[in-house]
Amino acid sequence: MATLEDSFLADLDDLSDNEAELDESDGDDAKKDEEDIDMDMADLETLNYDDLDSVSKLQKSQRYLDIMQKVEEALGKESDGTEKGTVLEDDPEYKLIVDCNQLSVDIENEIAIVHNFIRDKYRLKFQELESLVNHPIDYARVVKKIGNETDLTLVDLEGLLPSAIIMVVSVTALTTKGSPLPEDVLHKTLEACDRALDLDSARKKVLDFVESKMGSIAPNLSAIVGSAVAAKLMGTAGGLSALAKMPACNVQVLGHKRKNLAGFSSATSQLRVGYLEQTEIFQSTPPALKSRAGRILAAKSTLAARVDATRGDPSGTNGKALREEIRKKIEKWQEPPPARQPKPLPVPDSEPKKRRGGRRLRKMKERYAVTDMRKLANRMAFGTPEESSLGDGLGEGYGMLGQAGSNRLRISSVPSKLKINPTIAKKLKERNYAGGATTSGLTSSLAFTPVQGIELCNPQQALGLGSGTQSTYFSESGTFSKLKKI
Amino acid sequence: MESVLLPTLTKKEEIDRIINNTIDKVLVLRFGRTSDENCLLLDDILEKSARDVSKFATVALVDVDSDQVQVYVNYFDITLFPSTVFFFNAHHMKLDSGTADHTKWVGKFHEKQDFIDVVEVIFRGAMKGKMIVHCPLPPERIPKFQLLYKDV
Repeated sequence: MATLEDSFLADLDDLSDNEAELDESDGDDAKKDEEDIDMDMADLETLNYDDLDSVSKLQKSQRYLDIMQKVEEALGKESDGTEKGTVLEDDPEYKLIVDCNQLSVDIENEIAIVHNFIRDKYRLKFQELESLVNHPIDYARVVKKIGNETDLTLVDLEGLLPSAIIMVVSVTALTTKGSPLPEDVLHKTLEACDRALDLDSARKKVLDFVESKMGSIAPNLSAIVGSAVAAKLMGTAGGLSALAKMPACNVQVLGHKRKNLAGFSSATSQLRVGYLEQTEIFQSTPPALKSRAGRILAAKSTLAARVDATRGDPSGTNGKALREEIRKKIEKWQEPPPARQPKPLPVPDSEPKKRRGGRRLRKMKERYAVTDMRKLANRMAFGTPEESSLGDGLGEGYGMLGQAGSNRLRISSVPSKLKINPTIAKKLKERNYAGGATTSGLTSSLAFTPVQGIELCNPQQALGLGSGTQSTYFSESGTFSKLKKI
Repeated sequence: MESVLLPTLTKKEEIDRIINNTIDKVLVLRFGRTSDENCLLLDDILEKSARDVSKFATVALVDVDSDQVQVYVNYFDITLFPSTVFFFNAHHMKLDSGTADHTKWVGKFHEKQDFIDVVEVIFRGAMKGKMIVHCPLPPERIPKFQLLYKDV
């Protein structure tokens, strides 16, 4: 506890005195945990830290140096691989691998912190760069290349960034609000960039080492996804047992980079795959099946990781079998569907006729519907004998049509929807016309018809036949009987 | 187009079995021999339409040259080849096509659709309970033949 207080005090001194801090950190190498806590506390207290080393202490810590040294050693000599009789956890190589994994995670965190540091310093110069270039290492490289330069045409960013981003960066640099940095700030920034790049290369080295040992550590997992991806997965998960404990859906997105391509929409859902994207199986599947392949890869590799965590199959046959299974499944998805065979005819009269309804059918039915006139004629009043066409009960009965008691004087002639054959219509007209026997030469506007009684209007006028005296010879509705071409 | 070959029957038991086992489907038995040209044409049409009609009919070929089958040849009075006899639920279905012989169909069909039409009419009639149906084909599509009575 005393040391903790001392470190607090020491950090307070950081605010003014940079050099003193450097000596402090060398002395505190054994208590890395406290260092980490201190670092956080220091961050909270010092909103305006000036020095890189107050931020990133990892590279100076003993643990880091130890592990890096061991890695160098192991990379130098070829391991003999006969020490697999022991339980996995006791194997010193496994311990080293676990440590390396942990370290790689730590390095990544450290890189993030350094990136923040660089960003804060460089903000004064070129604020928009941090949103254009997301990746910390790329950002560090770009910052190092640009330095204090105002004119970006003099800076060659080829190879550091994709050309689209370079273009955007150059254009944004023309309109940036920033101003060149003072010399010491620039120096610190560049130092931080170097630090970031160092950390990155160290991480790479560690991962390479892990990858080379992956075949003996996790044979089944590397059988499915390959040793590089297996190493990365283990590294990100934080150890083989941690990876085994993860559900497959998490394994699927381990290492997924969130790419915010400057201004491009992220609405088109990119595949949810992380490191698994780099596996050989995934690369070789057609794009349409990539999402399914990603899922099945994640599932089977999780199974393999679980086998490896418990050391159930040191030879890796399980992994090979799973890989074969995956390959077969993907092939099956790509099979064309079976050819269609012509359907046999249905059994006659087995399906009942489908009666359709609809507006069209209704309109059709209206033409043959029972009209109001016919309805009235069908009904009869009780107690009164109905009138009939030939009188005395002979001929067609008229029913309620035209009864004195009915409240209608006459049936309104609605233009009927009944469709009548044109020849029949012509005949009807003639008949009506010819049946005007009751009309005389002294036709008047009154007409006596048997149906309606007294009518005020001459129905024949309505028909357009005029008075009944017109002879049939000059029929209104008839046509010329003989046409002669002149 | 893959066509599974129609079953060819040579023994009396086979014919009996198929007649008894075809339930609620029209059974079409072609009596003929594979060397005959007409027969081959008819067989071709039968094969092509066998799948289409498979939901309500079964088609089988009877080789008329086998000994055991002669019983049936005599029973049905088959003298001209190819002849097609129709059954439904073990009842012999008669077809009035304007020719003299209603018990069978003699000769080949002009088209696949003709055969399908005939089978459909037989099916409908049989489902209604009729033993004889009227052929729907126009007379020019019906092969004409002369019935000889004792070689007269």
